[in-house]
Amino acid sequence: MKRLLNSLNNIWSFVILFAFLIVGLLLILPLYNIFVSSFIDNETGSFTLQNYIDILGKGYYRKAIYNSIFVGFSSMFGALLIGIPLAFFTTRFKIRGKSVISTLAILALVSPPFIGAYAWITMLGSNGWLRHGFESIGIPMPTIYGPLGMIIVFSLKLYPFVYLLTSGALSNINSSLEDAAESLGYPPFSKFIHVTLPLILPAISTGALLAFVLSLADFGTPSIIGRDFRVLSTVAYNLFTSEMGGNPGLASTVSILLILVSLIFVYMQRIIIRNKDFGSDMLNPPEIKKLTRLTTIPVHFLCYFIVFLSSMPSLVVIYNSFRKTSGPVFQSGFGLDSYRRVINDVPDAIFNSFLFSVSAVILIVLCGTLIGYVVARKPSILTGSLDSMLMIPYIVPGVVLGLGFIVSFNSKPIVLTGTAIIIILVIFIRRLPYSVRSSVSILKQINIGIEEAAASLGAGPAKTFVKITLPLMLPGVFAGAMMAFITAINELSSSIILYVGGTVTMPVRIYLSVLDGEFGTAASLSTILLVATGIAVYTIIRLTDSDERVFL
Amino acid sequence: MSKVQLINLKKKYSEVEALKQFTLEIQSGELFTLLGPSGCGKTTLLRTIAGFNRQDSGNIMIDGLEIDNLPAYRRDIGMVFQDYAIFPHMSVEDNIAFGLRNREVSGQELKTRVSEALETVQLSGLEKRMPNELSGGQQQRVGLARALVIQPKILLMDEPLSNLDAKLRIELREDIRQIQKNFGTTTIYVTHDQEEALVISDRICIMRSGQMVQVGTPWEIYNKPVDHFVASFVGNMIFLPWPLAGMKDQNLDKLREIESFSGLNIDVSDNDKYQIGIRPEEVVISKQNSVLDSNVISLSGIVEKISFSGREAQLHVKLIDGNMIMANISRPDESFLEEVGKTVYLELPYKAVMFFEKDNGLRC
Repeated sequence: MKRLLNSLNNIWSFVILFAFLIVGLLLILPLYNIFVSSFIDNETGSFTLQNYIDILGKGYYRKAIYNSIFVGFSSMFGALLIGIPLAFFTTRFKIRGKSVISTLAILALVSPPFIGAYAWITMLGSNGWLRHGFESIGIPMPTIYGPLGMIIVFSLKLYPFVYLLTSGALSNINSSLEDAAESLGYPPFSKFIHVTLPLILPAISTGALLAFVLSLADFGTPSIIGRDFRVLSTVAYNLFTSEMGGNPGLASTVSILLILVSLIFVYMQRIIIRNKDFGSDMLNPPEIKKLTRLTTIPVHFLCYFIVFLSSMPSLVVIYNSFRKTSGPVFQSGFGLDSYRRVINDVPDAIFNSFLFSVSAVILIVLCGTLIGYVVARKPSILTGSLDSMLMIPYIVPGVVLGLGFIVSFNSKPIVLTGTAIIIILVIFIRRLPYSVRSSVSILKQINIGIEEAAASLGAGPAKTFVKITLPLMLPGVFAGAMMAFITAINELSSSIILYVGGTVTMPVRIYLSVLDGEFGTAASLSTILLVATGIAVYTIIRLTDSDERVFL
Repeated sequence: MSKVQLINLKKKYSEVEALKQFTLEIQSGELFTLLGPSGCGKTTLLRTIAGFNRQDSGNIMIDGLEIDNLPAYRRDIGMVFQDYAIFPHMSVEDNIAFGLRNREVSGQELKTRVSEALETVQLSGLEKRMPNELSGGQQQRVGLARALVIQPKILLMDEPLSNLDAKLRIELREDIRQIQKNFGTTTIYVTHDQEEALVISDRICIMRSGQMVQVGTPWEIYNKPVDHFVASFVGNMIFLPWPLAGMKDQNLDKLREIESFSGLNIDVSDNDKYQIGIRPEEVVISKQNSVLDSNVISLSGIVEKISFSGREAQLHVKLIDGNMIMANISRPDESFLEEVGKTVYLELPYKAVMFFEKDNGLRC
């Protein structure tokens, strides 16, 4: 105990203490309340297992569980099917305009998923122009609504995770290993199967896991194009916000199930990659081969087709935003009607979005850098458990955390519901782990000897951090801040639950406009979001020399 | 046992000529080393023989058969890599069996051959280990076993020891030499370490900027270097201007009669044509001026620095004309270490002195 007190006697101990406070209040408490509330009867307020019996027993809910897993799995396979070949071609062959391909993939990655859903409606919805176009030449096209549409939207939205992780792994393979297989008599394809594939499996499975968990957690897409096809996230939202008073108990139970499904997949992936981290220390980078005349056209076509298809929603949205509208209906010709509308009607959404994201980013950077430092540099049971707890937001869907915040902060002692602060805080805690992660990985690249040198020259811990470590971390911290901004300004799934009239944000406004059929408003707001996101991406690429994996 | 012929091989990387008209014959069963500084094209040559690079022109023949159009996986070669290239996701056993499985060897035969290979490289008992549980030296032994077990026509080794520490390097190079002799597999060995090349090889090919400079046995390479480059690259060589300032009084004419030079066409009185070289171990050093000897060049100088490395000490001596000369003293007694700043006397035996032409570096 005495030793513990002694060790607390410096600046970093306060950081650790503060971090526990934040995590306890903003993460553990809301999830605990959800957990408790899933065992409470709505009417009587007493302990019950009825919620679980209902969820697992009723066809309606069981179907939602099944649907969620089905869509998650299919989207994951879709993302793998697109991402792995793209990664293979771009890392192993001379492809013209490689940076164009990776930039478009990054744009698909950072653009909010609900924009994709919405853009596909304008293309392949009941009145979609693409669908009409195909029908006019006699090719019947199904609408984008329903499970298949969701899977397509998710696959095209989430493949960049697989692509970036896999291409990173592919270009990190020690090429001697592949040469060795070849010298032992393995032709190219069996070489890939026996040597390359097992070595990139950890990266692929991480990409697959991200695709699965994110499609499971997403709220906007199923809500916009799912129609009658219910998944867990939309069911939880509807249960909570239902006009018949809502059912927080059942909503909590669904939330717990969502977390559980994600957890099972995280665990499965852990098993798959156990003992398979073959970090390659001696780098003998793989040779980038020239394509033959016969293969170059199909390979280029495939690569560009993929990234074009995935960035199509953004292009369509931007195009739509400049179309003439009259009321909610698009007219022929171009104009700035939609922009005039959003500036007149919903300036607060734009203002709120920027205010909330910038505030959240400042908090995220401050806390993330400091917490990252203690996790990386002061290893102990305390910081270790802090690190593990910060994994939680990765698997908790925004809808669930939003519910947790409402349950936790709508009564004394802390009343935050309906304020801007609650939205800023939910964004903050959801994105804090990313910032901590990136700080930790930057610090791992900074030789600890530099800090020891500073200490040996008489600088105290605070001075060492501010004068030595922080300047070295700065480029990485900046990139992390920009990434946090991108995710913050595009946040929908938690703010959709927490917003009130005065705290509406752009994503929420877009979502509501799409539901109301106000496609012009949705398009111009989406364009503003895309531009803000694009500028952030550009500054990351331009001002820091981070590689593309910073966007993961 | 296979013979390898390289005929007029050429390879260009963008503007750099990595191989210029390279022609060479490697006898079956020999351990043949490509030695040269980095960037000399030795690794390019090895990888071209392996089939990882395609030459721009010229032919490669194994046992008289052209293999230019065979991809690497059909050339029947074994390769050992600088970074071991042990498959990290397979056990030692599976690594070694990898090439055999592809050759449809299975069952008992597979087992027997794998365990024999393990025995050869002295790793019996480590079958089930994963590569990350092995030391660098053990990994390279696995690499060697994996390449040998398929009984390749030729074995290619690309700087196999350069990532190991000094002690292990010496131990493993002896083993490689022994195993190669036992198997009799024609082996092409690439290294930039001249000592390693001398110890391990039957013959050595010295390379510089994509060209062959000299081919010969280790003894020939060391004692009869064709030029300044080989002489300085293999072993230590002190180079001095000719004639030496301190020997002006000695009768140059007499030199012509000296046995070591009589066969050579050297005009010893030419003041501007030659540079001489001598290995430090040939320089005799003493504290007293010795009796005049017509078989040696006698010089004197002042000791500037002494580096003591246990087994021997190296004295850096400044000659009258300002040139430095190094001399080794084996098992130096302590008094020698106090010689800095004092005058010492040096003898360079004529038979150990090599003459190099100044303008083209060739040895006379």
